[in-house]
Amino acid sequence: MRKGLIVSLALFTALSTVTAQSYQEPTLPKISGNTTLEVWSWVPNLDKTVKEFEKLYPNVKVKVTNLGGGPQTYTKLNTALKAGSGAPDVAQVEYGFLPSFIDTGGLVDLTKYGANASKNLFVPWTWGQVSPDGKAVYAVPQDTGPFAMVYRKDIFDKYKLKVPTTWDEYAKTAEQLDKASGGKVKMGNFYTTFAPWFIALAWADGGQFFKRQGDSWVQTLDNPSSKKVLNYWNGLIKKGYVGTLPAFSADYWNAAAAGQVATNFEAAWGPGGYASSMQGKSGGNWRVAPLPQWKAGGSASGNWGGSSMVVTTQSKNPAAAAAFALWLNASKTAVETNFKGAGLFPAARAGLKLPALNDKTSPPIKFFGGQNINAVYAKASEGVNVNFQWAPWYPAVDANFSKQIDAMVKGRLTPDQALAAWQKESLDAARKDGYTVR
Amino acid sequence: MRHRVTPWLFLSPFLLLFTVFYLTPVGYAVYLSLFIKKRVGFGPAKDVFGGLTNYVRALQDTDFLRSLANIGLFAVVQIPIMLIVAIAVAIVLDSVKGRAQRFFRTVFYLPYTIPTVIAGLLWGYLYSRNLSPLNQFLTATGRDPLDLLSSTVVLWSVANIVTWTWTGYNMITLYAALQNVPHDIYEAARIDGADGWNLVRRVKLPLLRPTILLTVIFSIIGTMQVFSEPFVLRPLGYVPDNITPNTYIYLAASRDVQYAYAAAMAILIALVTFLFSGIFLRYARLGDNT
Repeated sequence: MRKGLIVSLALFTALSTVTAQSYQEPTLPKISGNTTLEVWSWVPNLDKTVKEFEKLYPNVKVKVTNLGGGPQTYTKLNTALKAGSGAPDVAQVEYGFLPSFIDTGGLVDLTKYGANASKNLFVPWTWGQVSPDGKAVYAVPQDTGPFAMVYRKDIFDKYKLKVPTTWDEYAKTAEQLDKASGGKVKMGNFYTTFAPWFIALAWADGGQFFKRQGDSWVQTLDNPSSKKVLNYWNGLIKKGYVGTLPAFSADYWNAAAAGQVATNFEAAWGPGGYASSMQGKSGGNWRVAPLPQWKAGGSASGNWGGSSMVVTTQSKNPAAAAAFALWLNASKTAVETNFKGAGLFPAARAGLKLPALNDKTSPPIKFFGGQNINAVYAKASEGVNVNFQWAPWYPAVDANFSKQIDAMVKGRLTPDQALAAWQKESLDAARKDGYTVR
Repeated sequence: MRHRVTPWLFLSPFLLLFTVFYLTPVGYAVYLSLFIKKRVGFGPAKDVFGGLTNYVRALQDTDFLRSLANIGLFAVVQIPIMLIVAIAVAIVLDSVKGRAQRFFRTVFYLPYTIPTVIAGLLWGYLYSRNLSPLNQFLTATGRDPLDLLSSTVVLWSVANIVTWTWTGYNMITLYAALQNVPHDIYEAARIDGADGWNLVRRVKLPLLRPTILLTVIFSIIGTMQVFSEPFVLRPLGYVPDNITPNTYIYLAASRDVQYAYAAAMAILIALVTFLFSGIFLRYARLGDNT
């Protein structure tokens, strides 16, 4: 037994040395002259991470402004880009919102600074996100939110349920749980005001929502995957198997901690929020499993959230800014610090193999019973459909979703009608904003 | 010549600030509202002169018109309730003396001193589906919890917060007006046999009339600007974008980056507010003459 332990320890050390050595570092350029970079981000502790960059480049000062995230962050960036002054050198933008910023003309095409050479450092689908037309590159991928299922092991054990691997099994398990618990425990919770959550589920089924075609756009919010996914969930909601508490609300955290919700679908950055928001309640009882599949044996996943770092045209030293963005998201030092300090799930391929991702002392892993949850998420990351695209009017699409789903949950619209209305109203909004779209 | 220059010199600090901080922004908003976005291919949009296009669009935008209808309904219901309560409390406080008066005056005024955002968060908790003490009581007694943040009732949940905040403020204004009434008027009225309800109806209310008009005007203007309460409640559930005109305009500008369209709607709102306050003032003055 002891021998086995020593052998496996030795093996582990050997393996981790190998991975550490084989970490593929980005090729960083020389930066000449003294310069100061201003960075807007909402990543916690970023001001500490950038100290390492300043060590590497003593002639570069990095000033981090933490904007806290949320819609106001984009308002500030939009206003500065529109005004033509006041924008930072580098800013954090989520993938879904990237096209709307590309559209302002305020972002630097990073191919000028050799961005394409870094393409293979990142998880393949993220490159499609930062380079929507396959030519210009407008950002460096930072973190991702591949989708997996979180569930309460104690509830599954108590009611002798099997962890579902397909959506068919998920629905059956929901019914069993409803009967066994007398309706007290919901199988899941549909986030009615978070379009990206729903989109991630349809994304996993290969759903396409936006596409560039020639000189115009095609928007298909009511694509077959959307219809399939929404009808499926509406069925579960109507039967009462699934709740509709708002995401990130005190109500949701309370219900989840109290054992009233057996499963949910969360991105790789989700477990950290679970551990901190439930303040240790129900700690150790949670686990992560791969996303259930429509076809048994599959490994498809979608993505919710995740960010990239853009360089604005207002930067006085875009070459240095581009180098910083690359360092921050691809170098081992930064990727590791950002994971530890902020829970950023790396977009860098090499980052997914870092031993730090399975640090048993980290709060999320403790909350999830010591499970190697990031291995599940790293696997999910490989299953994310590469060709997914967003559109510059996505903010309006995002907002309209909540309106239609509210009507659906209240029974005023069927899922198909809700999707048709979502498609039509978003299309009208895009056209009024001057886009050629059908 | 000197006589012509001197007044302008004295006026210049005011005129400068008035121009820089008031006329210029308003002028810029009007200017901005005349442009529309033009796009060719995938490039960034160009702002081109669009004349009154944004205004026509606003008047045809059912979501925007709905926000106006919402706030109209809100005003018709909320302002009378708030002011009737404020008048009643002011009159009662005016006739009570001593420690009780000071205590209740503070208690009623207290909500106004709490920042709107904090008030919104507090009420958001009281409105929540599971955590609200009210809903916990209902569930414990075997009844269904109320969804006070449901999109169909959330306008009235907002009205409740606004009433809670502003009743005390209006009460203090009215109460101060009553305190300024010379007491010989009451004595004279009492000698004439006016007492209790008659004193209120024939003496106090008529004396309060100018102050009541003032509070009505302020309430109309304030209602048109309701923003923080629904905005704070938004993350707690589905609160429609167009619950009030100001949330709708804010989201058009900040979220959808449609500054020009937002400017056009803001100007329409200013005109509507101006119109309603004007109509009310005129109507109230006519009442004065009879």
